[in-house]
Amino acid sequence: MTRHLNCIVPPHILDRLAESSDAAVREAARQTLLTTARLRGQREVRAGLLGVSAPTNGRRSVFDCRNSTRLSNAVLVRTEQGHASSDRSVNAAFDGLGATRQFYLEVLSRNSIDDRGMRLDGYVHRGLRYNNAFWDGQEMVFGDGDGVIFTDFTGSLDVIGHELTHGVTEFTAGLEYHNQSGALNESISDCMGSLVKQWTLKQTAEQADWLIGPEVFTPGIEADALRSLKAPGEAYDNETFGKDPQPAHMDHYVDLPDTDEGDNGGVHINSGIPNHAFYLAAVAIGGYAWEVAGRIWYQSLRASTPTTDFAAFAQTTISKAAELYGVGGSQQTAVREAWEQVGVGTTVAARGGTKQAAAVIPPPREELVRQFDELTAQVNRLRSELLSS
Amino acid sequence: MKLTLAEHGGLAAALRLGQPPVVLDLSTLPDDEVRQLTDLLSAARADPAPSGSARTAPDAMSYTVTVEDGGSQEVLRRTDTTMSREFAELLDRLRRLAVKGG
Repeated sequence: MTRHLNCIVPPHILDRLAESSDAAVREAARQTLLTTARLRGQREVRAGLLGVSAPTNGRRSVFDCRNSTRLSNAVLVRTEQGHASSDRSVNAAFDGLGATRQFYLEVLSRNSIDDRGMRLDGYVHRGLRYNNAFWDGQEMVFGDGDGVIFTDFTGSLDVIGHELTHGVTEFTAGLEYHNQSGALNESISDCMGSLVKQWTLKQTAEQADWLIGPEVFTPGIEADALRSLKAPGEAYDNETFGKDPQPAHMDHYVDLPDTDEGDNGGVHINSGIPNHAFYLAAVAIGGYAWEVAGRIWYQSLRASTPTTDFAAFAQTTISKAAELYGVGGSQQTAVREAWEQVGVGTTVAARGGTKQAAAVIPPPREELVRQFDELTAQVNRLRSELLSS
Repeated sequence: MKLTLAEHGGLAAALRLGQPPVVLDLSTLPDDEVRQLTDLLSAARADPAPSGSARTAPDAMSYTVTVEDGGSQEVLRRTDTTMSREFAELLDRLRRLAVKGG
């Protein structure tokens, strides 16, 4: 059973509506909550009865490239059914893929990269002294590092979360990998990569380090990490590679050529701006960043297009904050102020003006009840399917 | 003959930005080293560059090897997802020679 329950109304809104003064709305919301809770319970019981120790969706396989650059020559070394390997890189890749998969499933209700249970393949020990890790559209590839500057890239959970999120972006907004849309693409990967780590460590926004790849450098290199969402431009400053060039504000946006040499218009440079906006929003909202800020950003990603730029994305996050948590609420205010602090313009309409107001005007009572009835019917149909499968 | 290797992009692209390329003057290398290097270059050259202008995978690196010989110049460009085994061997050899100060 891979089918999803796509609730039209988020659970926290249902909770609130279940307390409505309108008896019909209250009863409809209560019935929906009750049915979805039953469904959840049946899924858990069914999984337990089947003795499922690992989910079939997003199943992981790790391959050893044995220092070749040809992935087709790699050897399968670990699967969901197999035992842990004696190779630390294999296990770290396997665990990182699993943590990212579970984060997306449990926090964002996303079934693997494509939301359809896409298998997760990781390739370790790619090439000789290879200083990189990347997602090639189908699998994740890890280098061992040269041992001089970089070390094994499987050692960084946020890097794994970052790379797999490139896959999620491909399957959602498809943000073009150059200029502002490319920097946004990079930023989404940094934000979600950091959240995967925070969620795994159960850290609040205040407790988190907000660093990307603090583990990828050898001990001799004086650097905190590849990037910092908390302090873009301050992740490193040393003789080997100079000072971190990431800006934290639009005033310092770096115009680079849209070429390989120019990092496709500075996608790894200007990502510092939306990265910092996410950090500021998450800290202002408080608590666990994945619960509110992460949800707003993820839903905004899903609502974006290949050419979305910073301003358009900012606008979307403000709209989504209102849609999910109410117009003028503390969440929407935090998001709006975060973008303002990094100098990304938001329109008057985006500041809680008519657009947002129109978007959240509640439908008439009859329509609301009809929607609840329809949702309950959908849930009941799913329940029947589940019981008969 | 002079060989230049420039590396771009990747997860750590910001660190590579503005870094000088690796430059090797083959006239300063031992004969056997030059022979191996030119063999690797021939093998890498034999594998044609992929056609099309599709953008590389996010965070994949790109590599430019420039060969200057007399008045002629030749450029080989590959990425992590498009390189042949021979090109990978050439890259590794160039990096190792650069570390040795070749």
